[in-house]
Amino acid sequence: MANLNDFKTRLRIAKEKLKSSSRNTDNDGNISSMGSAFKLSTDLVAHVAVGTIIGFILDSWFDTKPWLIIIFFFLGSVAGILNVIKTAQKMQKRD
Amino acid sequence: MATNPMHQFQVYKIGPEIKIAGIDLSFTNASLFMLLSAFMICVVLFLGTKEKKIIPGKFQLISEMFYNFIAKMINDTAGSKAKPYFPFIFSLFMFVLFCNMLGMLPYSFTVTSHIIVTLLLAIFIFIAVTVIGFLKHGFGYLKLFVPSGVPVVLLPLITVIEIISYLSRPVSLSVRLFANMMAGHTMLKVFGGFVISLGMLGGWLPLGFSVALTGLEILVAFLQAYVFAILTCIYLNDALNLHH
Repeated sequence: MANLNDFKTRLRIAKEKLKSSSRNTDNDGNISSMGSAFKLSTDLVAHVAVGTIIGFILDSWFDTKPWLIIIFFFLGSVAGILNVIKTAQKMQKRD
Repeated sequence: MATNPMHQFQVYKIGPEIKIAGIDLSFTNASLFMLLSAFMICVVLFLGTKEKKIIPGKFQLISEMFYNFIAKMINDTAGSKAKPYFPFIFSLFMFVLFCNMLGMLPYSFTVTSHIIVTLLLAIFIFIAVTVIGFLKHGFGYLKLFVPSGVPVVLLPLITVIEIISYLSRPVSLSVRLFANMMAGHTMLKVFGGFVISLGMLGGWLPLGFSVALTGLEILVAFLQAYVFAILTCIYLNDALNLHH
């Protein structure tokens, strides 16, 4: 019986530990630094590319060439830079 | 032909041509390596879970390590709410990892060096995450595009920027994996070509580079699978725990 009680306490402690560790924290996990370097570089490029593509599609919809593609190129660049700054801030907070 | 560094990425048919409703469904070397990696994952995990010993053997150790690695990653990034999605993220990680690692073998084919494969995976994740987000939060999920504490004047601009950054997720996810794998394999092949063309006199330097690059490529192969899986977890976290 002592053995069972011992096990019960251990189970309780383990469950509490799990509960406290499984609380969601506001971070990107412990992504390794090389991984986050890959993430930052491709994110910057992808945002600009997606912004430009959206501009191109809207331009051919509304027949407003070349204005929307120019606007969305800059919006995409802004989005990319903002995203990089956000990610970098999160990384700094974690350290 | 053999010295062309892009030749290794060529997709060719194996066996007869199969056409169903005008769509070419022939079995190619890409399909072969996808099946091979799926088969190898099954073999490793089957051998790992066959005998459940207290002191694990090699395969059991590897399977347990993968399991713990992914379970911890999901728990750390997306919280306990993401536990039901463990099987999907585990399969995703294992598939990308095994495709990358099989590609490191000489004379093999790297499935993940083709953008159509990675883009399909990324688009599937993107749609799944969006659907999960709308199912969990209803139209409240759209709050993701409207960050709190922004002046009303700037709100339309910020919303457009947030939408661009949401839409660029599948692009950056797929391009990262594809570009890394393709660039690495091309570079290996180019340096391999230098060894042959410089011969016994000058070939030693590129040979050294080739050896170093092979090590780097194995690291990158693992890292890209890891980044792919962890970013899926981060996107899932956005969909499950909306906090903006």
